Amino acid sequence: MLELRLVHRFAGRAGDFALDLALESRGPALGIFGASGSGKTSVLHAIAGLYRPDAGRIAVRDRVVFARGGPGAGEASESVWVAPERRRLALVTQDPLLFPNRSVRGNLAFAPGADARLESASGRQILDVLRIAPLLDRRIGNLSGGERQRVAIGRALLADPSLLLLDEPTSALDAELSRDVLGLLMQVKQTLAVPMIFVTHRVAELLALADDCAVLEAGRVVAQGPPVEVLKRPRALGLASLVGVDNLLRVPVLGHDEGGGVSLLDLGSGVSLAAPLCKVAVGSAALVGFYADEVLICLEKPAGISARNALACEVVAIDRVGHEILVGLGLGDTTLRARITPAAASELALEVGRSVVAHVKTRAIHHLESEAVRTAPTPLPSAPRGA
Amino acid sequence: MIAEAEWTVVLLSIRVALAAVLVALVPGIAAGWLLARWQHPLRALVQGLVMLPLVLPPVVTGYLLLFVLGRSRPFGQLYHAWTGGHLAYTTAACVIAAAVVGFPLLVEAIRLSMLAVDSRLEQVSRSLGRGPMDTFVRVTLPLSLPGIASGAVLAFARALGEFGATIVLAGNVAGETRTIPVAVYTLLNVRDGEAAAMRLVAVSVALSLAALLASFWLSARRRAG
Repeated sequence: MLELRLVHRFAGRAGDFALDLALESRGPALGIFGASGSGKTSVLHAIAGLYRPDAGRIAVRDRVVFARGGPGAGEASESVWVAPERRRLALVTQDPLLFPNRSVRGNLAFAPGADARLESASGRQILDVLRIAPLLDRRIGNLSGGERQRVAIGRALLADPSLLLLDEPTSALDAELSRDVLGLLMQVKQTLAVPMIFVTHRVAELLALADDCAVLEAGRVVAQGPPVEVLKRPRALGLASLVGVDNLLRVPVLGHDEGGGVSLLDLGSGVSLAAPLCKVAVGSAALVGFYADEVLICLEKPAGISARNALACEVVAIDRVGHEILVGLGLGDTTLRARITPAAASELALEVGRSVVAHVKTRAIHHLESEAVRTAPTPLPSAPRGA
Repeated sequence: MIAEAEWTVVLLSIRVALAAVLVALVPGIAAGWLLARWQHPLRALVQGLVMLPLVLPPVVTGYLLLFVLGRSRPFGQLYHAWTGGHLAYTTAACVIAAAVVGFPLLVEAIRLSMLAVDSRLEQVSRSLGRGPMDTFVRVTLPLSLPGIASGAVLAFARALGEFGATIVLAGNVAGETRTIPVAVYTLLNVRDGEAAAMRLVAVSVALSLAALLASFWLSARRRAG
């Protein structure tokens, strides 16, 4: 989906800032993750064609849109510059930059051919997914922040882009609205099947949306891979403020038991998971995570145990990593990971295909809402606080 | 009451000022855009040249124009060869003089209003598939329209009052180049001309005030919008 080699030096009042990175991703959704000032927006702007990098090569969906030889990028045999308007990469910015002189409809119909697309079946689907049909004849000034961002995303999609570029699409919104927009982007990805490259500093956004992620620090890529894998080792990456987790689930909330301090989550096939009480509405999806170390494997369901979750699973993978064993546990469509010692694995005679019961303490499950994650100063607390 | 000869003067002035604004508008928009968006070391020089008529004595501006457009000058002769007519000492010369002198006011208003257009909107427009010209017409131009209008009104007011460059380049030909300021000057130099001069002065004050109020109103609207 993306092949990028980029060298560029920005001269600024606060000193120079240099980008020097290589990045390759098969997508369909690549998250570029990093703190502010790490250069992630500059990478996005280079892909969009908003400036000419000093050197490098950018190919989007096998189409070279930029190539220029130079120090650090080798001597490119070709020199290519495709103007931004011909790249078919629609940009959605952090502040929803709508054209203030146009109505919602005028904004949506802005791109060439978008007015016809607006009336077509695919256009109506975009309006439905983003819930913007009722806003069509409103003035831009009368829209709320969330509505504006929905219109901006719709305007980008109606440009029929080969790829969507999203620059922190939810960070200008409050927690609730940003969850809403995030949910819409997940629908855009699934229902409308539009590949995307997005920039974010929010873990929840990365986990929910990205198939692949690149972590940027001071203009360089310091880690790349599936988000779960990358975020599992936050300390190793110098991302101490981030949460690392092995098991991530985005599942609907079945109900809340306020007295019991428990929210029940739907794992599918009639199986539910007891998580600490959360505020997510019944029927909406909650994002939860827990470490593989917190999963206990038993051959049979024991009695008199405080762990609330006893999940009948099947062993689907056994991987030895150094002195530990990572066991993949199949549970319907989801796979949980448990980390145990080789001794435990041999004692239980674990093998692929064996039926086991996985136990997870409720208190070991953490809600990874964007706001909670963003302010968490340390990784998930692993000390038990009573089951 | 205003005499017919005075009406001729007033109407000529309005016609000349309107024509001057129309002539200056397209180059003014181009220059305003260039000065707002062009990042180049030469930009300061271009800006200086554009603003020059604002600080030069209008008589000097008029003389420079005459130096280029005069009947015996190369450009004047070229014009004569093309059209068989002359520029100097005609209504066209009045228009040119007024346009040149009003140009800096027009450009500055346009430049400021284009600077106020968020350039990220232009970037978004480009990424949505609109080329630079298309983006200019669909985004930059409409968003800076109030500034363009207030600049045009200001340039119109300045053109109405233009005297120095006009008298040098266009002279004082009744019905052709005798605009309000030239007529007032002429009337003040003849016996019993003062009453007529006063009437023209009153018209001049009214027109200029109306233009200024319109300009203020337009820029207030721009700030509010």
